[in-house]
Amino acid sequence: MHIPDGLLDPITTIVLWIITIAVMILGYFRMGKMFEKEDSEKIIPYIGVLGAVIFAFQFVNYPVPGGTSGHLVGGTLVAIILGPWASVIVLFLILVIQSLFGDGGITALGANTFNMGIIGGIVGFYIVMLIIKLLNNTSMKKELKVTIATAIGSYIAIVLASFICGIELAIAGAIPIEISVPAMVFWHVLIGIGEAIISALIVFYIYKTKPDLITTESMLGVK
Amino acid sequence: MVYTKRYKWPLITLIVIIAALMFVIAVGFTIGFLSEDPDGLERVLINNNGEEWLENLYSPWIPFLSWITNDYIAGIIGVILAIAIMIAVFYLIIFLKKRNTE
Repeated sequence: MHIPDGLLDPITTIVLWIITIAVMILGYFRMGKMFEKEDSEKIIPYIGVLGAVIFAFQFVNYPVPGGTSGHLVGGTLVAIILGPWASVIVLFLILVIQSLFGDGGITALGANTFNMGIIGGIVGFYIVMLIIKLLNNTSMKKELKVTIATAIGSYIAIVLASFICGIELAIAGAIPIEISVPAMVFWHVLIGIGEAIISALIVFYIYKTKPDLITTESMLGVK
Repeated sequence: MVYTKRYKWPLITLIVIIAALMFVIAVGFTIGFLSEDPDGLERVLINNNGEEWLENLYSPWIPFLSWITNDYIAGIIGVILAIAIMIAVFYLIIFLKKRNTE
């Protein structure tokens, strides 16, 4: 879903850059208290590793029927681990690195961060939160609730991001809206399955091995 | 002084990530686990406007690292860059946040 340079019109590009920068500044102020703790430096190496994991997984393109491929975006996954506001910054940095390799445009960084970081991260996180609220009525184990909610949340977030991306393509005049939105959603309904499985497996693995790395547990309201 | 003990697990994880990535690249394409087909957005653009149209989109920049065509080298450089940038930015964020709360 990496938008290349030259695809979006200047106004859409600028508007999405402004929104992304505003959200990142807001994100800095709204980031969780864990970043202000006395020993908060301890988590820095893990954030580095998390960035490496997301980059590595985004490098791995799995085949999707119809001559298409998909890869992990990881917005919702990062949001579950570090919180929704930090996830936008993490995704922005990952997209900066990828744009240096020619994967996604440099001028389109605002749009790509909006789609994958803000929709994938922040919106995805609140969808996960909502699903956990529903699952709290069941007798499931904590880690299972978070894993299932992550799978569903990351799936919905990726499909929603593709829907928004379809609208952006239409506004930019690249493809008419009656084609761009259904086509984008159709492919990402398939691609999203991989996103859901990978995100859920990583969250489940962290819950089993080092649960304190999931810093948003209280925010998610898991009971 | 580098506290290798403190960073033992992040370092081990990093080595595992790079090794796993190299392994996946090495066998992924052979067994069809990986694909070089266009992604969702590219597929939509190619289906509607053609491959040539997509390749001819104007970019004001030449991507800094686009000359690296080898997947292994790109993967290793990308992973190292991701770690370095992530650590630098979040170190700065934590430093600024702590300074503001003091």
